[in-house]
Amino acid sequence: MTKDVIVTQHISKTYGRPPLQVFALRETNLDIKQGDYIAIIGPSGSGKSTLMNLLGCLDKPSTGKIFIDGSDVSTLNEKELARIRREKIGFIFQKYNLIPTLNALENVELSMGFAGVDSQTRTKKAKQLLEMVELSKRLTHKPSEMSGGEQQRVAIARALANSPSIILADEPTGNVDTKSGENIMRILEDVNRKGETIIVVTHNMAIAQRAKRLLRIQDGEVREDHV
Amino acid sequence: MSRSLLTLLGIAIGIMAIISLMALGEGMQQAVTGELSSLSDVIIVSTGGGGFSTFGGGGSTSNGEYFTQRDVADIQRLQGVKEVSTQLASSGLAEYNGKTTIVSLTGMDISVMRLQYASQNLEAGGFLNEGEQNEIMIGYGIAHNTFDANISVGGRIKINGEKFFVSGIFGKQGMGGTSSDSLVLMSSRDFQKLTGQSNISLIYLRVYNVNDAESIATSIQNTINGNHGQKDFATATTMTSILKTVQSIIGILQLVLVAIASIALVVASIGIMNTMLTSVMERTREIGIMKAIGATNLDIMSIFIIEGMLVSSIGGIIGIILGVFGSQGLTMILNSYMSMGGSSRLTPIITLTSVVLAVTVSIIVGVLSSLYPAWKAARMSPIEAVRYE
Repeated sequence: MTKDVIVTQHISKTYGRPPLQVFALRETNLDIKQGDYIAIIGPSGSGKSTLMNLLGCLDKPSTGKIFIDGSDVSTLNEKELARIRREKIGFIFQKYNLIPTLNALENVELSMGFAGVDSQTRTKKAKQLLEMVELSKRLTHKPSEMSGGEQQRVAIARALANSPSIILADEPTGNVDTKSGENIMRILEDVNRKGETIIVVTHNMAIAQRAKRLLRIQDGEVREDHV
Repeated sequence: MSRSLLTLLGIAIGIMAIISLMALGEGMQQAVTGELSSLSDVIIVSTGGGGFSTFGGGGSTSNGEYFTQRDVADIQRLQGVKEVSTQLASSGLAEYNGKTTIVSLTGMDISVMRLQYASQNLEAGGFLNEGEQNEIMIGYGIAHNTFDANISVGGRIKINGEKFFVSGIFGKQGMGGTSSDSLVLMSSRDFQKLTGQSNISLIYLRVYNVNDAESIATSIQNTINGNHGQKDFATATTMTSILKTVQSIIGILQLVLVAIASIALVVASIGIMNTMLTSVMERTREIGIMKAIGATNLDIMSIFIIEGMLVSSIGGIIGIILGVFGSQGLTMILNSYMSMGGSSRLTPIITLTSVVLAVTVSIIVGVLSSLYPAWKAARMSPIEAVRYE
């Protein structure tokens, strides 16, 4: 039996106070197993990103509990949350979100730096990861000197730097051309095959269909759950 | 980038002001101390309780008693005493160019005289020579302002009816110090011959260390009073107390100067804070990303604090360099306004202390002024920050 990496219990995210309260996410229960490959789809404003932010510990639910690797993150303080984000989760954003002043290598090394990894190990691992995403020739390039697809692959390398158990990708192919998008998905699927849990938010049905499990979110509720 | 440069310049100017004003203060301190300590290692021992009034005259012998050779020997034996000389003082009638006036006569050994007045500028002529008789040296005032005509080297003055040749004239005494302007200086031998007195009216001595002067003066008084069996036979006067007062005044002045310069630094630190706050705003997204990939609040804070520290310490180092030049310029201006005698020109002195202080202060300023922006950056919610465009 595979273990649960993420469990959510009745999580809701609300803004404002009743009666003007708005539910961004309502009573969501999820069990995500180690090695899952999940696609989340839904129209804009349906709560996909809210869910991702909650799963990624960037945000806290208004009610309910989230367990990541068995620990209840709602009870954790800021420092412990930072540790979860650093060690358990790798985030990939639609807009890459690389640090513009750092080159590819330094961007990948950054999160390892926050984890306290020594600089030699850091550089070695970052080079390995960039090789894996086929960017060995771009080590010293700044984000502005790379294409969208390349930047996103740097972001993937960065997300994998601290060997997290969960990769959260928020529309990773949203800003790149089809060919690059295909490349990115292939890398993510490779990573998944090695046992990593992948959660991808997407608008693209073709991409969503490749996942092992599909969640459709609408109006803050999880409507379908195909396995 | 140019913003950081301007911020850096602010710090540099503040530090420059502090460094150059401290250098100036230190220079002043040293100049005055140097000038005074050339006198303040001197102790003058006179008889009577009244103390000592003027350099050239003095030696009140109203009680009719004089120092003995034993007194002199005792003083010589005291620890810390460098050299002891005696001075014979009296007054006499001097006549030149038909005008007669009373002058103070000072007699001392020629070797001592050379030492005593070594630092004094001579207007003309030279010191008295060993073995020569009936030669005198006179002060500027005697040469130019006492008689109807100016006296020049080789001039002949009658003192108590005896002829004396002027061998040297002292230059005009500058401001401060004791005046040699009304000096009529002759050898001890001539003095005794002329006045019939061989009594020591005054003992001069120099000490090795200015700081010991006060305690040595006290023990001299005790020793001589003991010798004569009188409670207040001798009075030993030092310049140390004057030196102390002047030093403390300059110390306060220095403090005030630095305090004024610090205002520049306060303004500069507000500049750093402003720059850092702007930088935090601009980098909101970056901060969010770093938090999303696992940076703690402390990580974020230290990034900004280190940045602030870097800007201010580089500014500080530039400020120190500018301060070195600034202090030179400042003293040049001051020197041209206060045309003091050649010996008392100000030179800026940059001490290690002031450099260390400047570096420390600029680092502290950097840390303090980036503390608030750093804290603001750290408490940003990662989600807000990532969304920020």
